[in-house]
Amino acid sequence: MSLTIALAGNPNCGKTTLFNALTGARHHVGNWPGVTVERRSGTFEQEGSTLEVVDLPGTYSLAARSEDERVAAKFLASPEVDLVLNVLDASNLERNLYLSTQLLELGKPVAFVLNMVDDAENRGVHIDLAALETLLGGPVIPTVGNREQGIPELKALLAAMARGETSRCRRITVDYGHDIEGELAKLETEIGRDEQLEASMPPRWLALQLLENNADAKRLVTESHASEAIGQQLTKSFAFLEPHLGADGATLIAERRYGFAHGLVKEVASAADDRRTPTSRLDAVLTNRWLGIPIFVGILALVYSLSFILGKIPQDWIAEGFKALSGFAEARLPAGELTSLLVDGVIPGVSAVIVFVPVIMILMGCIAFLEDTGYMARAAFIMDRLMHVMGLHGKSFIPLIMGSGCNVPAIQAARTIESPQDRLITILVTPLVSCSARLQVYIVIAGTFFTPFKAALAIIGMHFLGLGLAVLMGRMLRSALFHGPSSPFVMELPPYRLPVLRATAIHMWEKGSIFLTRAGTTIFAGATLIWFLSRYPGIANREWTAQYQDQRLAVQALKLPATETEDRLKALQLAHESHIVNTSLAARLGQKASPLLQPILDPDHKRPEAWKDVIALTAGFVAKEIVVSTMAVIHQASDEPKVGERLSPLQVALRDNSGLSPLTALAFMVFTLIYTPCLGTIAMIRREAGSWGWAGFTVAYGLVLGWGLAWVTVVAGRWMGFV
Amino acid sequence: MTQNLLIPLSDLQPGDQGEVVQVKAQGPIRQRLLEMGFIRGVRLRVEKLAPLGDPMELVIKGYHLSLRRDESSCILVHRVA
Repeated sequence: MSLTIALAGNPNCGKTTLFNALTGARHHVGNWPGVTVERRSGTFEQEGSTLEVVDLPGTYSLAARSEDERVAAKFLASPEVDLVLNVLDASNLERNLYLSTQLLELGKPVAFVLNMVDDAENRGVHIDLAALETLLGGPVIPTVGNREQGIPELKALLAAMARGETSRCRRITVDYGHDIEGELAKLETEIGRDEQLEASMPPRWLALQLLENNADAKRLVTESHASEAIGQQLTKSFAFLEPHLGADGATLIAERRYGFAHGLVKEVASAADDRRTPTSRLDAVLTNRWLGIPIFVGILALVYSLSFILGKIPQDWIAEGFKALSGFAEARLPAGELTSLLVDGVIPGVSAVIVFVPVIMILMGCIAFLEDTGYMARAAFIMDRLMHVMGLHGKSFIPLIMGSGCNVPAIQAARTIESPQDRLITILVTPLVSCSARLQVYIVIAGTFFTPFKAALAIIGMHFLGLGLAVLMGRMLRSALFHGPSSPFVMELPPYRLPVLRATAIHMWEKGSIFLTRAGTTIFAGATLIWFLSRYPGIANREWTAQYQDQRLAVQALKLPATETEDRLKALQLAHESHIVNTSLAARLGQKASPLLQPILDPDHKRPEAWKDVIALTAGFVAKEIVVSTMAVIHQASDEPKVGERLSPLQVALRDNSGLSPLTALAFMVFTLIYTPCLGTIAMIRREAGSWGWAGFTVAYGLVLGWGLAWVTVVAGRWMGFV
Repeated sequence: MTQNLLIPLSDLQPGDQGEVVQVKAQGPIRQRLLEMGFIRGVRLRVEKLAPLGDPMELVIKGYHLSLRRDESSCILVHRVA
C-alpha cells in the first residue's frame, strides 16, 4: 500500500525539519519541472505501508502569483496527491491558518501538524487540540519538529490514513456569507457545464479563484467551451458584490478567510503574553539603528573567512593531491597522447571540479545556518535600502559579497532570494564580482608592469570595478528584462530559532553532491575540450615525442648533480609543452582571433605575440587561475619565482618579450575581470537560472562588456598620456 | 477627530499603532498584502525602521513583517492612540 503526502505550510513553519524527521536520510532533491524551485521528496515505511512525502515550497497562500505558489497549487490539485499534511506554526497560528482555509477547499483529506508547540507555550499560548480538530475537520498532531517530539504519533496517523481510516476527517469549508456564497453557487453551476473543467479541480475552489481575479484560473477557464457563460456570470457577480459589500472580490474573500482563522484562534487558543520575547530582545541589538550594520559586517566577515580562508585549506590539499597524482602518472607513464589526456586533461579536470566542494559546503552550511536561525531575513532588512537603489533585493547582498571569494557558491547562495526576478538578476550579475581566481592573474600582471604601490591600487580598483559593474548591470537588466516596478518587498521576520545541526549537515551534503553531479559533468567536459584544443595536433606528433625523450635521456646521461638535472628536465618539459601548445588548434584559433582583440591588447600593432594572450584567455574559460599556468607554458617560463627574486621567470618574460605596456596590461586585467565566467560558474548559472540560454547570455554580455571596457581603458589611458 | 484621519502606513512612526482601512495597491502586491493580513480593521504596530531608514518593521496579527516604503505608502490606516 502506498500513499503520496504533500507537505504544505508557510515559510518558517519548520516544514523542512519535519520532512527530515519523517524521511530521515532517504530523500531525493531535484527541481520541479520547468522551474528552478527545489523539489524534495522522500519515503518512509510504517506498519507495512510505504509513504511518499513531497515537501512543497513554503507559501503563504495558493494564489499562484509566484513561482513557488504556482508549483504548490498545481501539485496539490494533481491526482498524484492522496493526502495533504498542513504544517502549522503554533506560535503564529492565525496567519498560518489562512493557507489552511485554501487547502480545505481542495477537496482532499487534510491532516494537520501543530509544530513548535513549545514556542507557543513559552509565549503563554495554550491550544485546545480537541477543539482545533473539530473546527478544522481533520486530525491534529502536536510536534516539536527539531526535537522529534510527536513524530512517531504522526507516522502512525499517516499509516492509518494510508489504510483508509479517514474517520477523523470531515469536510470543513469557510462560510463566505450569504452574498458571496450565492455568487459562488452560480459560478459553480456555470463551471459544471464543462465536465472536463469540473473534474480538473473542485468547482468551488475554481469559483473562489475566479472571484479573487486569479490570472491562472481565468486562463484555465478560457480554454473551456463554457468560458463565455462563466465569464458572463463572473461579470455579474462582480457587479453585484462590489457595490453591495463595498470591496472587490479578492478583499472580501481574504477578509472572510481571516475571519474564519481569527474566530478559530479565539476559540482554541489563549492570548499570548505581551512580555518581550527573546526575539525582540535580540532584535533590539541585531537590527539596532547603530549596531545593526556593524554586526552584519562582522557576521559577513566571519562567514567569508570560514568559507574562503578555512575552506582554502582542504582546497589546497585537494589541489596538491591531484598535482601529486598527475606528477606521479607523468613520471611512470611514457610521454604521449594518452598520458597527456590523463595528466593534462582528466586529472586537472577532475581536480577543477572537486576543489570547489569544500568551499561550497562550508558557505552553504553557513548560509543555511543563518537562514534557519532567522538572521538571514534581518540581513536583508538591514541591507535592503542599499540594494533597492541598485535595483536588487536585500537578500542579493550576500551572494554579491561572497562572489569575491568564488562565484560558484555565490550563485548557489542566490537560492535564498524568493522572487524569481531578483534571483535571476543576482545570478546574472554575480560573475562580474572579481573572485580569488582572478586575483592570481592580477597579481602576476600588475606585479610585472606596476610598482608595488600602483599594483595594489590596480588590484583594488579591479574589485571595485567588478562590484560597480554588477550594480550597473543589475539596474540595466532589470529595466531591460522586466517591465514595471521591482517585485514587492513583503518579508516576514521570523522568530529567532536554534537551528538543527543535522538539517544544516544534510543541506551541506545536498549542495555538495548536487554540484558534483550537475555542474561537475559540465566542468569536466569543458576542461577536456580545452585540453584537446591546446594539445592537438602536436601531442600526436611521434617525432617530437621521440626527440623529447632523446633529449631527456641525454640530460640524464650527463650525470650532473641531482638539482641541476631536475632543472634541466623541467626546462626541457616546458620547451616541449610550449612547442605543442604554440602549434595547437588553440594557437591557430588565437592567431585567427587576435585581430579581434588587437584594439585592446595591441593598439599600436607592435606585438607579434598578441595571439599568445588569446590562448591564455581561452584556457581561462576553464578556470581563471589557468590563465597564469597557460602563460607559463606559452612563454616557456615558470611562474614560480626563484629564491630571492621579486619577479618570476614568467613575469620577466612578460616584461621583456610579450610587448605588453603598462596600459595594455591594465586593459588585459580589465578584460580578464569581465570577459567570461569560468566553466564552474557557467555550469552553476545554467543550473540555477534553469537554462543554457541564460548561461550563454552571461558569456555573451561578458565578452562584449569586457571588450568595450578594455577598449575604453586603452583609449582613455592614451588620451591622458599613458602608454 | 484627528484620530480618524486617513494616513499612509509609511507616515506612522516607530511605536505608533494603526488600524488598516484600505489597501490601495493593485495587482499581485495587493493580493500579497491581503494574504499577509492587511485587511480592514486589523490593528498593527510599527516596530522600527531599518538602520538606513527603509524598510520598516511592523507587527501585524502577532507576527513581524517588513515592508518597503513603496509598499507601506499604499496602505491607508487610522492612527490609533
